[in-house]
Amino acid sequence: MNEHHHGHDHTDGHEHDHTPIVNEEKPGYYEILEISIRELLIEKGIIKADEVRKQIEVLDSRSPVLGSKLVVKAWLDPDFRVRLIHNGNAAAEEMGISIYDNTEFTILEDTPEVHHVIVCTLCSCYPRPILGLPPDWYKSKEYRARTVKEPRAVLAEFGTVISDDVQIVVQDSTASQRYMVLPLRPQGTENFTEAELESLVTRDTMIGVTIPRI
Amino acid sequence: MSSERLVKKLPNDIGGTGCSTDKVHIFERELYPWEKRCHALLDVLDYHKIINTEEKRRGTENIGSEMASQLSYYEKWIVSASNLLLQKGILTPDAIAVKTKEVAARFNVTL
Repeated sequence: MNEHHHGHDHTDGHEHDHTPIVNEEKPGYYEILEISIRELLIEKGIIKADEVRKQIEVLDSRSPVLGSKLVVKAWLDPDFRVRLIHNGNAAAEEMGISIYDNTEFTILEDTPEVHHVIVCTLCSCYPRPILGLPPDWYKSKEYRARTVKEPRAVLAEFGTVISDDVQIVVQDSTASQRYMVLPLRPQGTENFTEAELESLVTRDTMIGVTIPRI
Repeated sequence: MSSERLVKKLPNDIGGTGCSTDKVHIFERELYPWEKRCHALLDVLDYHKIINTEEKRRGTENIGSEMASQLSYYEKWIVSASNLLLQKGILTPDAIAVKTKEVAARFNVTL
């Protein structure tokens, strides 16, 4: 969707198999704008170069692995489960995961009767501190527009069929309120190790578009 | 469509408006490095209370529907940010013009 300004420059015609791989991509207009604005703000002393670099490190340090640790801990430790549902921010901090964006982090607990799905109809709000940056489809017009109206149809596109006797609750996110689904622990995982359980809890199971499966 | 709907709903308020035929385009990709830098830059501007999340989001609409429909997610973010920095008097059009020319020349790109 975004490749029109990332064209390769191969005009020199001197590509050889033995040459090291170099980044030949030239920046497009919007990348040049990003570089320019960042450099101007640094030159004016409004931000420091180090701050952007550090924030990239923060972004890179966040991935669904953190969310899966919260889910599995909640599956294995009933007291933690209660604390997590009572106060998501405090429970995440307890696990050493800072909710760096100062949002309220709420857990949506699936039950045999209720399945949850998260969406941001207004834009792209997402529990970034525990799942990392959202996939493109989460930010897409189709997902945002349709999930609140026909969640079963949207979930089916992800290959997820929720039984008709299970209610689907769609939770819309906001700039200050972020959510994560606590899915049901699959049957037959009684003897699984923590690591084995964590591998079942993928990003999409915590968004609610899929469910953990053995 | 009744014009009242346009008054009551902002352009980004699209929950419940889609058709079943508009399938979700499900795919995965890594962000381009500049997209991640753009994300980090906007986070830093939020920490400094220069541009907050809501201003940034609103700024992606104020570019007009034609541009909004053609630009990608982070392309809209950086255009929104530059417009807001101009409106707030933090940067000037001249400074951006001179700087983009300098950066383009650095990469041997003609804008």
